[in-house]
Amino acid sequence: MNPMTLTVNTQDVQLQVHSHHLLVEVLREQLGLTGTHVGCDTSQCGACTVLVDGQPVKSCTMLALQAEGRHVTTVEGLASADARHPIQQAFIDCHGLQCGFCTPGMIMAAAALLQHTPQPSVAQIEHALEGNLCRCTGYVNIVAAVQQAAKTIAAGARK
Amino acid sequence: MSSEQVATRFGSGQSVRRIEDPALVAGEGCFADDVSVPGQAFVCLQRSPYPHARIVAIDTAAALEMPGVVAVYTGADLVAAGLKPIGSQPMFPAPGGAPAPQTPRKALAVDVVRFVGEAVVAVVAETLDQARAARDAVMVDYEELPNVTHLADAIADAAPKVWADASDNFAAEARHGNATACDAAFAKATHVVELELLNQRLAPVPLEPRAVLGSFEDDRVTLRMSSQMPSGVRDTLCKEVFGWPTDKLRVVVGDVGGGFGNKTGAYPEDIVVAFCTHRLQRAVKWVSERSDEFLGAGHGRDLFSRVALALDADGRVLGLRVHSMANVGAYATTTGVVIQLLIGPWVSTSVYDIQTIDFKLQAVLTNTTPVGAYRGAGRPEAIYIIERLMDAAARRLGLDPAELRRRNMIRPEQMPYTNAMGQTYDSGKFESVQTQALKLADWAGFEARAAQSKRAGKLRGRGLATFLEWTGGNVFEERVTVKVSGDGFIEIYSATQAMGQGIATSYAQLAVDVFGVSIDKVRIVQGDTDRGSGFGSAGSRSIFVGGSAVKVASQRTIEKAQSLAADALEAAPHDIEYREGEFRIVGTDRKLGLFELAAKQADRQVFMDSTSAVQAPSWPNGCHICEVEIDPDTGEVEVASYASVNDVGRAINPTIVIGQLDGGAVQGLGQALCEQMVYERESGQLQTGTLMDYALPRVGMVRHFKTELDQSTPCLTNPLGVKGVGELGTIGATPAVVNAVIDALARAGAGERAAQLQMPLLSECVWSALHGKSA
Repeated sequence: MNPMTLTVNTQDVQLQVHSHHLLVEVLREQLGLTGTHVGCDTSQCGACTVLVDGQPVKSCTMLALQAEGRHVTTVEGLASADARHPIQQAFIDCHGLQCGFCTPGMIMAAAALLQHTPQPSVAQIEHALEGNLCRCTGYVNIVAAVQQAAKTIAAGARK
Repeated sequence: MSSEQVATRFGSGQSVRRIEDPALVAGEGCFADDVSVPGQAFVCLQRSPYPHARIVAIDTAAALEMPGVVAVYTGADLVAAGLKPIGSQPMFPAPGGAPAPQTPRKALAVDVVRFVGEAVVAVVAETLDQARAARDAVMVDYEELPNVTHLADAIADAAPKVWADASDNFAAEARHGNATACDAAFAKATHVVELELLNQRLAPVPLEPRAVLGSFEDDRVTLRMSSQMPSGVRDTLCKEVFGWPTDKLRVVVGDVGGGFGNKTGAYPEDIVVAFCTHRLQRAVKWVSERSDEFLGAGHGRDLFSRVALALDADGRVLGLRVHSMANVGAYATTTGVVIQLLIGPWVSTSVYDIQTIDFKLQAVLTNTTPVGAYRGAGRPEAIYIIERLMDAAARRLGLDPAELRRRNMIRPEQMPYTNAMGQTYDSGKFESVQTQALKLADWAGFEARAAQSKRAGKLRGRGLATFLEWTGGNVFEERVTVKVSGDGFIEIYSATQAMGQGIATSYAQLAVDVFGVSIDKVRIVQGDTDRGSGFGSAGSRSIFVGGSAVKVASQRTIEKAQSLAADALEAAPHDIEYREGEFRIVGTDRKLGLFELAAKQADRQVFMDSTSAVQAPSWPNGCHICEVEIDPDTGEVEVASYASVNDVGRAINPTIVIGQLDGGAVQGLGQALCEQMVYERESGQLQTGTLMDYALPRVGMVRHFKTELDQSTPCLTNPLGVKGVGELGTIGATPAVVNAVIDALARAGAGERAAQLQMPLLSECVWSALHGKSA
């Protein structure tokens, strides 16, 4: 076991991890952050997407130790104390989820996109979500949700 | 807010925001792998690497010495403990009427393995890492046997036998209709169109892999798992496998990350976890990896058909011949066989008035993963067949495909209509639905769009599917319990099972209709066999069977509460009226709130245990129209537009219904354009065992849906007037898009080769058909 320190959802945490443990395993099993899901074993589905220093990362492809000293944001850390994140609200408003299993990964991938591209085109949204699979919705409402979230965030910024 | 306002805002017919969503978007869902208990051990399965082999010896000694290992079990251990196999289908004989071969399935294979991925050894260890390491240390000696994975090989002379007593690999046969009459119809036909069609094998791929956590308390086993049918799992394990009374096992289900039929029956892994939990008397967890799912969870479809349609000079269908063989895998399960030999055929004649049929349907055993239910389950196969035939016939007759369909449609005045399989449709206005869809899709304006595509260097085609389907699993009864709590909420338990369809929201809306309280006072609870048993959710039955039961139970609760209110208000029951969550003596201001009344009861609640039934299946139907553009240089197919009109009866929550239709349609497009399970012919190895190899639809496959609901034709056999909607989109999409691709190729002069195309329509196949040479 190796000691490590990282910041998860603004909290500094100290952990003991095996060198072969994946970031997603540590998030789910040691930190109890079960909102990050595992849907495959080949980094195809994107259900485990989190932000590492603001970048979208499939947490099944990253060793936990590689996150040493870095800032990790999971879906649990997205909302403010009193309100959902606009992306979370947009997924509800646009019926962008059905079973909800892919949703945390979709939301985190969208969050990464909107940080660097606040007004994305449909093509940019599709590009950003290309690594995330959804079996329920057919994706159209997910794209609509990201578009709505972009508008909401822009309107909030103008206020 | 008045009850009318409540009903207007939250009752049925409204696109209420889903009550499931706030937790799910916050990462607070509770899926099967999200629950752990202190002290749980982990089980890993060693699976067969061979499609067909004799198990010569299993050496567990090294594994047992590994750190953290608790136990290693083989199939022999399960047999010694008295576990029985899951039996094979009892419904159909083998060809010629001989008794069907028995294909009993043991949770861990004994003596022989019959497909790659069949579970052989279970290893239990303190941690998952230890269980994985020890699994790999179990030494199994196999003696390879000849294998057969492809249908054509399985029925060839001297084919390897999957089961010794299935001499020709046939598991079952069904004949429907009248072959002699059908032959006569073909003999007098002006036109005969014939096709060979493959509904290729698919993987359902709900995004949440299965997981099972067993725990042991008070001499009882509890399985917490991801399942569409908790009661079915309990009953199969108790009655068929373990010989336990049903109260020995409790099945609990939390959020289910998609089902699509893949999480219906009991799986070997469920049995293994229950066995380990019971034997070790401690908590044991199994978590599937995606590759476990591709290898071990049920596959779908896999039906090869030779089909023919006889028509008169005017395009009236005189007879339909369907001779199909289903590759059901290594075990002839009831689900796998019934789907292809009975359920699919129920809708083979679809919305058309075709009374002369000759169906010969055979189930064939191969060394592949057993086939089970997958969204649509038999109906997509049947509808694909008839809709491909309709388009081929229209091309032969030089008729507009919509016109040919119209000439053959069952008319509203023929309702109730009994089809050639003896299935009775209660309602449907098929021509009207098609007319609406043609308008929605601007069918008449196609040529202009085709010209525009041509200018952009693309080939445009259009395809349609008019169709109906059967829903309900033919289990029409549901039990619902309702508790009106003195603490101010109504809790409704149903043994149907949510898996993403939003049935908690839809049920809550139905309760709002009856109780007139706001939706936040209603709690829908599912997924606990200790609280109620039922068939579960499959075959698009939840809303029309379960929802109807919720309505009836809610009404019965009000009736019971009304007499309690009469007592409390010292009035005669018929003088009491219920409105807006309150009982009132008619014509007075003396009243008592529903929750107040509950609080006055000895147990602070009004409780109703209600069982009710609907009369018959529902027959949702629709017309789906797809336009595609093909890049002639690459053969790549792009969905240019997708429009559909759907007769769903009454819609409880239109947004949810449209979500089911559109999401389902993309699954249907997946079958048409990209998905297929592939076994390598020589080695029998599964070549599409990961999401890198099995191509699921991704974002952008369809950019816009024009989807309309026709609510003018309520179902007449349930109190809600609703028709099941979970599978409709999947069924319509596959033939609509394939017909569109063939249309585009035919317009480019490659019609004959296009008619030979089989799904999935990968770009290389489309390119080859277009250019008449291999890519």
